[in-house]
Order: sequence, then structure tokens, then C-alpha cells
Amino acid sequence: MKPTQITGRIWLLTDATGVLYDDIDTDMIFHNRYLHITEIAQMGQYTLDNLAGWEDFAQRAQPGDIVVAGGNFGAGSSRQQAVDCFHALGITAIVAASFGAIYKRNAINSGMPLVTFPALPEVAAQFQTGDTLQVDFETGALLLNGAQPFAAQPFSQVQMDIYQAGDLFAYGRKLEN
Amino acid sequence: MGYTFAEKVLARQAGLETAVAGQIVTVRPDKLLTHDNTSDIAKKFRSIGVTRVADPAMHVIVLDHVTPAANETYAASHKATREFVAEQGITAFYDVGEGICHQVLPEKGHAWPGAVIVGSDSHTPTHGAFGAFAAGIGRTEAAAVMATGEIWLRVPESLRVVVRGQFPERVSAKDLILYLIGQLRADGADYCSVEFAGEAIEALSIAGRMTLCNMAAEMGAKNAVVAPDATTRAWLAGRVTRDYAEIHPDPDAIYARVIEVDAGTLAPQVARPHRVDNVAPVTDVAGTKIDQALIGTCTNGRLEDLEAAADILRGKHIAPGVRLLVLPASREVLLAAIERGIIRDLVKAGATLLNPGCGPCLGAHEGCMAPGEATLSTANRNFKGRMGSKDAAIYLASPATVAASALAGVIADPRAK
Repeated sequence: MKPTQITGRIWLLTDATGVLYDDIDTDMIFHNRYLHITEIAQMGQYTLDNLAGWEDFAQRAQPGDIVVAGGNFGAGSSRQQAVDCFHALGITAIVAASFGAIYKRNAINSGMPLVTFPALPEVAAQFQTGDTLQVDFETGALLLNGAQPFAAQPFSQVQMDIYQAGDLFAYGRKLEN
Repeated sequence: MGYTFAEKVLARQAGLETAVAGQIVTVRPDKLLTHDNTSDIAKKFRSIGVTRVADPAMHVIVLDHVTPAANETYAASHKATREFVAEQGITAFYDVGEGICHQVLPEKGHAWPGAVIVGSDSHTPTHGAFGAFAAGIGRTEAAAVMATGEIWLRVPESLRVVVRGQFPERVSAKDLILYLIGQLRADGADYCSVEFAGEAIEALSIAGRMTLCNMAAEMGAKNAVVAPDATTRAWLAGRVTRDYAEIHPDPDAIYARVIEVDAGTLAPQVARPHRVDNVAPVTDVAGTKIDQALIGTCTNGRLEDLEAAADILRGKHIAPGVRLLVLPASREVLLAAIERGIIRDLVKAGATLLNPGCGPCLGAHEGCMAPGEATLSTANRNFKGRMGSKDAAIYLASPATVAASALAGVIADPRAK
């Protein structure tokens, strides 16, 4: 069984004024100039390098970190590199107010935990980059700095099944056996 | 109780009596569309130890993104796709020069009312213009469909857009969809199935319907659809040879939201940098200097788009200092435009004709921008840096607005005489 509860240091994707970015699109996450790259290990270095203020994210992020973003994260193209680049950096979850539809499927199918937290915009002021966040995929419970609880959405059944299997391929094999 | 288009089409495809929004169903898609990313998807597919695709007849593969290959890396990828196609016995393969996947797929008869189409491209919803359920998916998922022939889908909630009235002269489907995205914002239809209806939609050609469904992706839609009618059937006649049963939403279907628009009140619209939902009437941005004008892409590269531009440019010449790029969406469109003299008129007016394909829309070749430059494009995305430099600006508009602006050298209202 993979862990259904994780804890990590957060990166709050905010603009220069400290406000959470909405609609971070797939070109900001993984720019189209790198689309010829197909090795996941090589994708990490370009993560978010087209998002103002976050060009050096790949150098600062550590394995085990959690990304926290505003609404419609991953809008735009169907490119899976925009999910895989976070895998490459060892990011363990992405928590956002909402996600782009194809992005969400890409993440679920590749086993990247996405947690939808619709109330985030109202409470974002309580979050800071560097804080510690505990995320429970089963219940949607969040715990900020070991003290402040919030309620996000739990994983759906299919999301949990694919996450536990590893990815969509492993999930498919499991169903056949 | 009534059901929406998405509920009905996915229930039928899953072999269920009924399905409702929010339900997860497993379906066998009728078609899987992939493009230049086929070689990468094939690699993923092989990595799971499967050697044969589940159903070669399900595949539609079109090389369109960077065609002809801009460098050795792209050339190697195209070659790998051709080898995969030959090895797997896939017949619906369209090589360099045929056009953009979202134009070629329906032209070659692979879209029909009630079909379920998934594609590894975010503008796959375009095929809803034919009454199909069409949604974009990622590469892992496309590889899984290749291997198993199946996909899980969450039945989307539905949003109905009812458009009454008549479009004013030189106001088109592109202006309507830009206006809607401006109102609903980039996430206004997140995960939703968007049903376009009303007399203004019924009066639209297939090209206009494709523009609408194509750009529904920019407000987050999972799919978009126009109910099939005589216009649809006439367009598909001779292209689709199989039998099909149309699916229409029930009159008492339940919608998450219904939006009403009067087409008669619309002005030409422009999306400003760097967001598709940063929309204003053309009069607000008129006079903005442009360096490049682009007419084409899967949004607006069809015959009536080229014709709308030619009507404005015929007998005139674009402004000094402006580069006008024209990319027909397919070989069929290019040929028809040649036969009608449209290409002659555009080239005489100063246009640079590029081959059918995606061209500079995704910034890989054929018209990338330098820092400080601005392009006015008929494409669907103006994300920062999409067409080259991060310090370049992309504005989006209709073919008529782009043509009028290429003449003026600045963004211009196509209605002005």
C-alpha cells in the first residue's frame, strides 16, 4: 500500500504581490519549447520556468515538497510533460483550488496525487511557502504546521485505485488479473 | 427524467441503460486521434510490454504539429511514427501535408453524430461540431487506449449555451466564442460538456461550429457539441459511409447552467495578451500596432475563413512592416482555395502562404516572434511565450479582424468601410 497521508514543505505559487496565481497554464508549467523531451528525468529542470517569479523553481524544490496553487491549475494543452516534470522533481502532491480537466486526468493516470481544495482562495493568507502541510488523500483533511486544520476533497475511488496501483498501466494490469 | 447529450452518448457507449453526471463509466472509443506525439505514445505503449494495438481501425494518426520536420529531432519522431503505423497495420494515417488533425479527421470520415472520439490533443472537442462526443486526453491515457481499447470517463455536468438572433455582418462564430470565454473565464466550463443551441447556431456552417467547439477547450470544457441537423448530414454525406444513430439531448435534461446570448448584439472581439479570457470588443484595442498577422490553425483555417479574409484583402495590399501568414487547415481546404482564386487574392495582397499544418501556433517553427513583437492571430491560445519570445504579445481574433488589421498595420475593426 502506498501512503494515503503525506507531509511536506509547501510552495505557494503566488505572484509578485503575494496573491495565488489562477489559471497557471501548461505553457507556464512546461513550455512548448521543451516538448521534444520525452525522458521524464530530463523534464524536472524546466518546471515552471515560464511563470513569472518562479523561473528557478526547479533548483529550489526538494523531493517530498508539495505544490499549492490557485484555480484552474494546468489549464490548456494536453501535454503530459506538465505533470511528469513534477514527478521528476519528486513533488509528492499538488493541492489547488481547482484543476484543468485534462491536467487532472493526466495526473491521476500517472499516479501524481492531486487534491482539490475549493476553499483555498478564502484561506490562502494563512499559508506561506516553507510551511509544513499534512495531506490525507482518503479524507481530504489538511493540517497546516501541525495545528491548523482545513477540509479539501478526498480522492475519488478511481483516483485512489490508480494511485495505489502506481499508474494507469499498473491499474489496468491489476484489473485483468 | 431527461438526459443531456453527454449522459446519453456515454451511457450508450458504455452499454448502460442510463448514466448521470458524475458517474464513472468505461467505454470503448470509436476513434483514438494522435498526432506528432504518436511516437512518444508508442514508446509508452511498448514500455508496458504490449506488442499489438487493441484495434488498428480505432486509430487516426495525423502528422501536423511540426511539419515538414523543422530539425533532426522532429524528423526522427516522424520516422518513428511511420514505422509504428506500418508495424501495427494502421490504415488511417495522414502524413506531412494533409493538414491539421482536427480538420483531416472529419474530412476523411472519422467523425459522425454519436461517435465517441478521444485524442491526445486538447482541441479534440472540435469534433463535437458533428454531434460526436470528443475529448482530449494525455499521453499515458492514449497509450492505455492503444493497449486495451478502453478508457474510463467521468460523465461531465452540462452547460447549455443558447444563442438567438443573427450575427451582424463581419461578426462570426469566433467572435461569439471569444465573447463567451471572456464572460465565463478560463475555468467557466471546467470538466463540463458544453451544448451549443439556438437559431444562431443552427444557421452556422460546419466551419463555424468547429470554431465554437474547438475553443470551448479554452474555458475548460471536457467536450462541446452542436446537435446534428441537415447541415451536418449534408457535410458528412460521401465522407462517412457507416450507419450512425444521432444523439440529441432531452428537452427536460438537467443543466448545471444555461446561458443565453443574442448574436445580434455582438461586436468583433479580441483576446489580449496573455490570457484567452482577457477579451474586449475590437474597438477597445483598435490602433494597437502589429508585426505579424496569422490566418489559419485548427480554429480558423477553413475555406470560409480564408474567404472572409480574401473578401477584405482582395485588390489591396497589407501595410508595410506587417507579415501576413496564411495556413490552410488541410490539403482539401488549400485545393478549394486555389480553385476559387482565394489563394491568388491573398498572395497578391502580400500574404505568405504556408503548408497545411499547425505552423507557428505552438511556436516551434514557421513564424516565431522576437522580443517586443506582436502577432494578431486567428488561433485559440495566446499564452505567454507560445509563439516564440516570452516578451512578445499574441492577440486573438476572427479572420475578418485579422485581415482588416493586416491592411491597417494596427488592430482594426473589420466592420469599418
